[in-house]
Formats: sequence, C-alpha cells, structure tokens
Amino acid sequence: MKRPPLTSMAAALGFAAIVSPAHSGGFGPAVDAVLPRVVKLYGLGAGLEAGYGSGVILSADGVVLTVYSLLIDARRIRAVTSDGTTYSANVLYRDYARQLALLRLVSPVDESEPVGPFPFFDMRCDGADAGFAGLRPGDWIVAAGNAFKVADGAEPVSLVHGIFSGRTRLDARRRVKDFPYTGDVLVIDAITSNPGAPGGALVDLDGDFVGLIGREVTANLTHTHFNYGIPHDVLCEFMAESSGGAEADPLHLAGLNLRRRTPDADADKPFDTGVRLTKAGYRTVLPFVTRVQRDSPADRAGVRKDDLILAVNGKNIKDVDEYDERMNDRAPDEPVILVIRRGRRILTVQLEKPAEPVETANDPPDGEG
Amino acid sequence: MGTQHRLAMFAPFIALCAAHPLLADSAADSASGNESYEILRASQEVFRSVAEQLRPSLVRIETVGGTQPGAAGTSPGGDPDDPRQPTPFVDRPGSGFVVADGPTTGIVYSADGYIITSSFNFVRDPALISVVLADGRRLVADLIARDHVRKIALLRVDANDLQPPEWARRRDIQVGEFAVALGLAFDAEHPSIAVGTVSALDRMRGHAVQTDAKLSPANYGGPLADIHGRVIGICVPMAQRPGELAGVEFYDAGIGFALPKHHVDAIVDTLAEGESFYRGWLGIQVDLRSSDGLIVTNIADPSPSREAGLRPGDKIISADGHRIRHFGQLIQTLYMVPAGETVTLCVERDNELIEMNVTLARNTELGYLPPPDEEFDATTPIPDQGDEEEDN
Repeated sequence: MKRPPLTSMAAALGFAAIVSPAHSGGFGPAVDAVLPRVVKLYGLGAGLEAGYGSGVILSADGVVLTVYSLLIDARRIRAVTSDGTTYSANVLYRDYARQLALLRLVSPVDESEPVGPFPFFDMRCDGADAGFAGLRPGDWIVAAGNAFKVADGAEPVSLVHGIFSGRTRLDARRRVKDFPYTGDVLVIDAITSNPGAPGGALVDLDGDFVGLIGREVTANLTHTHFNYGIPHDVLCEFMAESSGGAEADPLHLAGLNLRRRTPDADADKPFDTGVRLTKAGYRTVLPFVTRVQRDSPADRAGVRKDDLILAVNGKNIKDVDEYDERMNDRAPDEPVILVIRRGRRILTVQLEKPAEPVETANDPPDGEG
Repeated sequence: MGTQHRLAMFAPFIALCAAHPLLADSAADSASGNESYEILRASQEVFRSVAEQLRPSLVRIETVGGTQPGAAGTSPGGDPDDPRQPTPFVDRPGSGFVVADGPTTGIVYSADGYIITSSFNFVRDPALISVVLADGRRLVADLIARDHVRKIALLRVDANDLQPPEWARRRDIQVGEFAVALGLAFDAEHPSIAVGTVSALDRMRGHAVQTDAKLSPANYGGPLADIHGRVIGICVPMAQRPGELAGVEFYDAGIGFALPKHHVDAIVDTLAEGESFYRGWLGIQVDLRSSDGLIVTNIADPSPSREAGLRPGDKIISADGHRIRHFGQLIQTLYMVPAGETVTLCVERDNELIEMNVTLARNTELGYLPPPDEEFDATTPIPDQGDEEEDN
C-alpha cells in the first residue's frame, strides 16, 4: 500500500507543471489530476437531448475525447477549459458503435492560431500498464463532469466519488431505442447518469484516467438508470482506429446497425442445431423443445423433446423469439452451448457443427424454428 | 484545517480499519504521510475482502416467464376467480416502475437449501426459477413463500452443503459504520460492490436498517454487509406505504433499506411452511373531507373491524398507541403490520373512548362495503358504492 511519489504521478499525467498539491485529503491526488483535464462542452440540444456535456483533454495541443451525442452534430461546438478560456471544438472523428467522438480545441477567432499547451491525460495505450488492469472492484473512483451544467465559466466541473463496482457488458437502451454500444463498461456506484456528466473523466485514487463517463442509458437487466464508464482499453481501441484517419463505419454513423453478409449467404449461415421449438403466432412462448431432428447436433448432444431452453451461449432467453435471435447471431462455426431444464435438473450441453450438413428437406417450412 | 485536527477527524476510521486484520499494518503506516489517502487505499482492500468473504454465501437467481405487476387485479392478495372482484380493497403496485427480468441475488440462509432474497425479484410471478451457487452448480429453485410486507422471499434448492454467511449481531450495527452492498445482477461470478454507510437503525416501524449505499434491482436480495464481512441485512425496496414496488423509486438515491437477521429469523419458520405474509387491512372506509379527525364511514362485511365492533361514525383516535389525526397517519401506523397480526384501535363514540383489538385481514378476506346510508347490519353483503372515500 504505497502512494506513488508525486513526480512519477506527474509524469504519468503528461503535464508536470499542472500537478500541484492544491487539494489535500484522501481524494486530493485524484482531484488535482482530473479537474484541469475536463472541459465543459456546449452545442446543439433538442428536446430531452442536453445541449451541453463534458470532455477529457488527451493531448497538449487540445485533442478532446467525449461521448457521441447530438451535441457533437452541432455546427459550432464551444469548449470551456477549467481556467475559463473558451475555445471552438472541431470534430475529428465519430464512432457511433462505441458512442465516442474526438474533438480538437481551436481558437474561436482564428483556427490556424496555435492553442495550448493544455494539461492532458496521457492515454499510454501501448505502455506496460495499458488498460489500467490494476483497477479492481472495490476501488474508489472520482467522476468529474459538468452534471446539469452546474459549473459555469471558469468554475471547475462537479466531482462525485464512489466505488468501481465491477465490469460488465452493456445491455441498455436510451428511451425506446437500443443503445448501440454493447461492449464492456465499468459499473460505478457514483451517480453520473444525468445530463452534462457524460464525456467526463473517471479517475482512480491516484488520479489515473480509467474511463470515460458514458451516456445516459437504462440498463435492460434492471430497468434502472445505469452509471458507468467506457473502460480505458476500449478508449484505446477507439483511439487506435481514429488515428487511421477514416471516419468510423458510415453505416453506424447513419444510425443503421446492419449485419454484413457475404454474397455467399449459405456459407455465412450458422449451422442448424436440429432443435425445433413451438411457435404460436405473436404470443410469447417459452422455449420448450417440441422435436429434435435425428442425428442433428442437438440429438448427438442429448437434447430431448420437452426440454426447456434457459440460456444460449451464456445469455438467458425468455421466449422463442429470443432463441431465434441468439441462434441467428452466431458465427457460422460457433458452437452452441445450451442450458436446459429437464424435470428438476438443469443441464448444460454443447452442440458442435456437424461434419456434413444436416438433412433438412423434411422439415415443415412454417410454424417451427 | 491543521494536520492534528485532520488526524483526529480520521481517528475513528483508522480504528475501524485497524480492527480489520487485513488492514492492521496499513493503518499503522498511515500515522505518517497522507493519512486519509492511505485510509482510502486500505479501505478498498476491505471492500474487496468483504465481497470475497461473502461470495460463497451468495447465489444468482434467474427466472423465466412472468408478467409485469399490473394495477389492482394482480395485487398479491387478489383472487381473479372470485366473482365478487373487484373490491375497493386493492393495492396498486406502489410505483410506476417497470420490473426487469434480469438475474437477481440471494443469500444462503441455511446449509440445507434455504435461500432468502427480496420478494421484489418475484413480483412478476415467474414460471421457473433457477439458482446458480457460488461453486457454479445450477439448481431449480422452489419459491416456498413470500413476505409482501417485509419484502423478502424464501427459496429452496436440493442441496445440503450450502454455506450461510456470518450475520452481524443486532447490537453491533452502528449508524455511521461502512456498509457494503453486493449484487450479482451484472456479473455471474463477481459481485458488484456499492459502498455507503449505515444511515439509520430501526426504520420502517423498527424493521429496517437504512443505508446510503446505492441499492437498486442490481442488488435487491443481496447482502448489506459490514467491513468484517458480516451481513447487516438483506437489501429490499421499502417505503412508508404499502405496495409491492413501493420504495423502488428510491433506487440509487442514497436511501436504501436492509432487513436485519432478527426480523428474518422471526418469520422464516412460517415461510418455510409455505405460508406467505400479506398486507393487513382493517376493511374500512373513512371520510377524507372531514376536518374533525378520522371518521369511519363504512365497514366491509365481513371484515375484522366489523368483528371487533367498530361502527360507522366512530372517530379513530389512536392505533397501537400512535395518535391518529388523518388518514396518512393511519397508513403510516399500519403499513408494516401483516394480515393476522392484531392492532389496538382507540375510537371515540358518543363522547366515550372505546378500545378494541382488531386482527388485520388479507384483502381477499374482506367482503363488500354496504352503501353508507344503509342501516348498519353485520350480515348483509351489498356491492360497494364509495368513490370519494379512501380505503384501508
């Protein structure tokens, strides 16, 4: 349990001059690190979409990381640093799938005029400590963002502290729409699911930048507002892609989450497991097995009629539609692991792709799947 | 603030941490240097050790099927086959919250297969319940019974080697101590950790420990633990009013409740016999417009109030010794009293004070309300007419 010396912390933070022990107390190092590196953003708002947010400075010349939102689509984005200076922000890169965006701060008068140097978080994506694998559930975190735009002008953004609860995959929605990002997130018990805070920084006790405060979403698992950060390693992936220069997937940018299909549709199709379930029109039907095709992967794995399928490849399913969805989303060769209930027992079976295609000619075309 | 002052301020925390075996060394180190930073570092290890210590006693509960709790018709006591439905005595679920069907958390109660969790996790009445133990075994669970008042549920699985947790003794639970809430909603193996303090004791009519740790469906049914890894209570949604979902709206707001062990112990044998606890009802209507105290206007037939001798026109003066001046006070006095328990009502009738014991009933045991203008008769069941009045 050793506190890193201030000098090494300063080096890690990328801008030694700014790290002054201005704040004492337990969260002092975190506060000193995070406050000068978070900017307040102002842009386009509409309806329930806030016209303000937060961003994190990642380079001395003013590259700012933030969440993708309507704000980013504004014709003119304004950024205010912690010393109260106002800049314009140009969008460098957008990633609809990760819901992230990269901006660059420029002079509001003359874009060619150099700005900075700014204090910044050095992402250290290639370094030995990349990904901040050191962050463990139970660690304190400090979240810094302009929640409800309480901070004005030269005022520093608002801080909330809490605990890093654990890492999980995001399964969420924004109002009625599914949230496009479904990768890993850092669950925190600090409240950041509010207008303004998203795009702000999550730091640990030492002031290391561990994640970006994510957009306001509702978690599907709990139907509650979800407080989370996009983890450092995901941010690094994003940074690596953004440095390639090209904009993120234009389909994603258009808001279309389309599955890519190769021209040879059959080769791309997941194998048939041989499991047949009852379907009854539009009604929700529990996924009971009504028939198992002989010699199919399911048959060989021991799946039987009347088994109830509880989960497919680690995801719980509640009805036949969800079963179909999971089945269609598989890679062509991906094995299928089913958790099934048979009587009072719960079994796990693995279905492997057969060496030869299963004969499917005798299947009735409708009413089963 | 001088260093000395700061040291004094953190002394209780140092003592708290030093009491923990993992932290004895680091707490001693912290006497020099940035002591509060060191305490925070040390506390992280404590929170993790609490999660590790309790993990063998936590289960993940998965459900299949079930529907959203609706309005009146699906209230816990409701009987859709009863031709007399609906009676005016029905609870709304208590919140507009839409219940998810994601995995939830439970705590091993006994080695022989009993698991306790929050009744919140079954408001949808799922068709199937399975439980994943800490060692990875997945078992079918039976929902034995629920307590709709204290918001817990008892499950049973076929196993004889479960590991119950250590529980904090009632007298050891202190306001201001750290409280760690654990849940398995987001990760099947590693509990999510939320940290706060014990905010108050004996809330909810003496039933609940209050905490500012963020409690939500992510950890309802899981433990609220002290820094020694002892369970302070089981996390449940609660509010000062009846309703299956009452209190969920407080989620993540810094107001959360946990039911401590002595309350669980007091009812677990009954639950194990398959008997559920339901909200208790008096079966009366009162005049909400009256400025002259709480006047009973109508009494269901049959109802426990009628049996106890309550009459229309009676003014309720007190319930269980609590002075009642308006309807809200009556609700606040009775919302934690389940059907089958007896309350003492003091009423004023013809300038006399009368005391009577009323054994509360389930709403399904209440009959119709006679029209208010009808002569009081304990035997005639007549359909209810009240609309400007409130029921309890």
